[in-house]
Amino acid sequence: MNAMRSLPRLGLAALLVFATLLPLAFLVALSVSSDWFYPNLAPRRWTGANWDLLRRSGAVIFSSLRVSAALALATGAVSSISGLFAGRKIARLDGWRGRVAVACAFLPVAVPPLALSIGLQYSLLKMGLGGRFSGVLFAHVVPALGYTTLFFVGIFAVFDWLVEDEARSLGASPRDVIMRVTLPLLRRPLVEAFALGFLVSWAQVPLTLLIGQGLVRTLPLELMSYVSAGQDHLAATAGLVLTIPPLALLVVTALAVRRLGAVIA
Amino acid sequence: MSGGRRGASGLIVAIVVSSPVLAGIVYSILGALGVAGPGADGMSLRHFQVVLGDSATWRSILWTVWIALASTLAATILAMGAAAIFRAQQGVDRFARLVAIVPLAVPHVVAALCGVLILSQSGLLARLAFAASLQSSPADMPALTSDRYGIGLIIALVWKEFPFLALVAFALIAQRGVALEETARTLGAGALRTFRVATLPALWRGLLPAMIAVFTFVAGNYEVAVLLAPSSPLALPLLTMERYTDSSLAARGDAFVLVLLAIMVSLWGVIAHEWFASRVEVVE
Amino acid sequence: MTSPALEMDSVSVRFGAETILQNMTLQVGRGERFVIVGPSGSGKTTLLRVIAGFVTPEGGEIMIAGLSATAVPPEKRDAVYMHQTPILFPHLTVLENVAFPLRVRRLSGGETRERVGAALDAMQMGRFENRMPRTLSGGQKHRVALARAIVARPSLLLLDEPFSALDPALRRDVRLALLAAHSQYEPGVVLVTHDFGDAAGIADRIGVLIEGELTQVASPAELFMRPASLAIARFLNIANEVHGHSDGGGTFCSTLGNFRTRDTIAAGPAIAVFSPAAVTIGLKGRTAARVIEVRTYPEHTTLMLGITGGRLEAACPAGSSFAAGDETTVDLDVDRLAVFPLPAGQRVE
Repeated sequence: MNAMRSLPRLGLAALLVFATLLPLAFLVALSVSSDWFYPNLAPRRWTGANWDLLRRSGAVIFSSLRVSAALALATGAVSSISGLFAGRKIARLDGWRGRVAVACAFLPVAVPPLALSIGLQYSLLKMGLGGRFSGVLFAHVVPALGYTTLFFVGIFAVFDWLVEDEARSLGASPRDVIMRVTLPLLRRPLVEAFALGFLVSWAQVPLTLLIGQGLVRTLPLELMSYVSAGQDHLAATAGLVLTIPPLALLVVTALAVRRLGAVIA
Repeated sequence: MSGGRRGASGLIVAIVVSSPVLAGIVYSILGALGVAGPGADGMSLRHFQVVLGDSATWRSILWTVWIALASTLAATILAMGAAAIFRAQQGVDRFARLVAIVPLAVPHVVAALCGVLILSQSGLLARLAFAASLQSSPADMPALTSDRYGIGLIIALVWKEFPFLALVAFALIAQRGVALEETARTLGAGALRTFRVATLPALWRGLLPAMIAVFTFVAGNYEVAVLLAPSSPLALPLLTMERYTDSSLAARGDAFVLVLLAIMVSLWGVIAHEWFASRVEVVE
Repeated sequence: MTSPALEMDSVSVRFGAETILQNMTLQVGRGERFVIVGPSGSGKTTLLRVIAGFVTPEGGEIMIAGLSATAVPPEKRDAVYMHQTPILFPHLTVLENVAFPLRVRRLSGGETRERVGAALDAMQMGRFENRMPRTLSGGQKHRVALARAIVARPSLLLLDEPFSALDPALRRDVRLALLAAHSQYEPGVVLVTHDFGDAAGIADRIGVLIEGELTQVASPAELFMRPASLAIARFLNIANEVHGHSDGGGTFCSTLGNFRTRDTIAAGPAIAVFSPAAVTIGLKGRTAARVIEVRTYPEHTTLMLGITGGRLEAACPAGSSFAAGDETTVDLDVDRLAVFPLPAGQRVE
């Protein structure tokens, strides 16, 4: 009975794998080639030139990669640490205060980035942050902080406060407690929150567009210009570079989860 | 040591975290009322009247709902199918489940890029059709990108959202599905009925919150719409952007009304999500 | 002659290299309540699932109500398997849940209605027909699950640790519900638990499953009085153990005196195991004892007695009262003594 069921199942699995990975494979092929036009099913030339551009400091793709990385790293850092302290405070609230606080933290996550950018643009422009790295960074942190705060509210909901109280009764000052007990215990969640904030900024489009005013060019924005200009090869390269950090994170998480014997992976 | 000072500081922190958004909402309200912003010309409901009275607005809303609904439902059905079929712990099934969640890592703008590269009239699909002698020029290919029905957009969105819904579905099957199915079978139900009565309802109920989240997200997403949606009818994010960057300042005020609309839709989405999530019974 | 509810013959189950069940052979008669006890990991759940059809055995035969069930899928077997926690279909009302087995068997609407009503009334859940499962309490869910299990009158009910993780009040509730369900049409019941106390309350016979083998099958009283091995006696937590030695000729010698044993055991160190009921307290007993502690329980009182060479737990005789420090004497009922050779390496404490 099992053997009979396995052939169609294999077929469906193959279909799933094909449909899922074909687009990515196509991107890879485009990124290592040039002069690939309709109606050819193969490019005229295979070349590593597109990826070389990523290291060429004069190249647009290189500078946008740098900007994206800087923004994402900074967003990750700011939002993870702030999110930790915010989440900690909020997780300790009970009753209606707790619910209201969580709802507040949810707002930056629930509101679509485009709506958020339009709402924020005027104020940020007035503060002189328009078209500047710092302005875009602030804009990215807004939703990222929402995600990390909610993340830490979840962490602290099951956090063992008793450990902190124990430290206090052993003589540790509040500062000691944070530095010697809480932060070390939270090392792993901090890394995860950093990754979360990083990814929120890394893939961001509307906030960068409207607050950066076209002056702050990140990789997603460049990707969109490449598409409009029909530069498929560069677009594919940019797309792959954009996919690498989240993909790496997914692999790491899946491996970690598998070690814990979870069900999915 | 509860309430009192600690309660106050926690709430303050929460408000600080949400303050930019709150400021943005307030500003949008003021802008929509004509009090603030580039097109400000005194308090009035004119912007509301213009936007809500414009048939383009409603066409946009309907079209956006169509796209979000179609892509969410399609992705959900595929996710349920994948969870029902690939349920064994090891082997082919496990490999399929692993591959299925890969697009989770792909940013939405890259998913849109793939849509363009593959589904456009000179894209991969068209070239395959050419090679199979099904067409002789790009124009022969039906437009799947920037088309009136948003087919290409829906396909790209399904590709991107399927892994998220599948992940939830896999967990549901593994946690609750097995015991429910065994119960149905031991009571006499065959394979098909077991699926209908035990598996499907459990999947559906568990997936509803995730579906709402996906729907809400898709409806508000800008970058995918930019690359794959048509210029008529306009998706809501695109309409909003168009009004906001319009050369006529009056139109910019209209954009704020659309922004408020989008925010309202999201908030309703969150409320609906919470409501359905709280109704899901926990089977220990 | 009606065939037994369950017949298992030499059924073995292996997962990979590990043998979970070895040569399981057992019979459960119609209307019999058979309880399988054993420590965690002994294979109890696997045994039930093999009977239910969710696990395929390596070899052997399974017959349910006289029909071969060995290669038959779960839905076609005349047995219902009930999980530890009641699994109700969350999207169906109580009525629809209980009607499920009948709808599957394509019974007419009228007859379905009648039988569902009867089952719910038997479980005292008639008023809850239109409720949704999530609004029910734990005990109510158990009763609905039982009603659903019996509505199609399966010849065999398989219950997997129904009492685990229940507080005493709920435990009693579920036990009564189970007895009520059973009395409806007297199916065979195979129930699995790790708690002997629960088992004794409902079992006609008890089977002790240790490491995949059925080491003893007997009525509760007999099991308690004559455990077949020291391991079983210890699993049953029989209270008193007295060390001594056997002379190899049928006598057990200890500080409590010499006793003729029922079976002859080899000469050497031995251990006698007996319950508090085997100890008689009186003034003319053979062994001196002093009361160390009086333990008062809701329904009875036990005395901890010190004797030369150890301690005994005994039931306080009705009508008498003792205090710590009192001197008295004790006698042992030889019939309630189970004597085993002491495994090498175990010393007197």
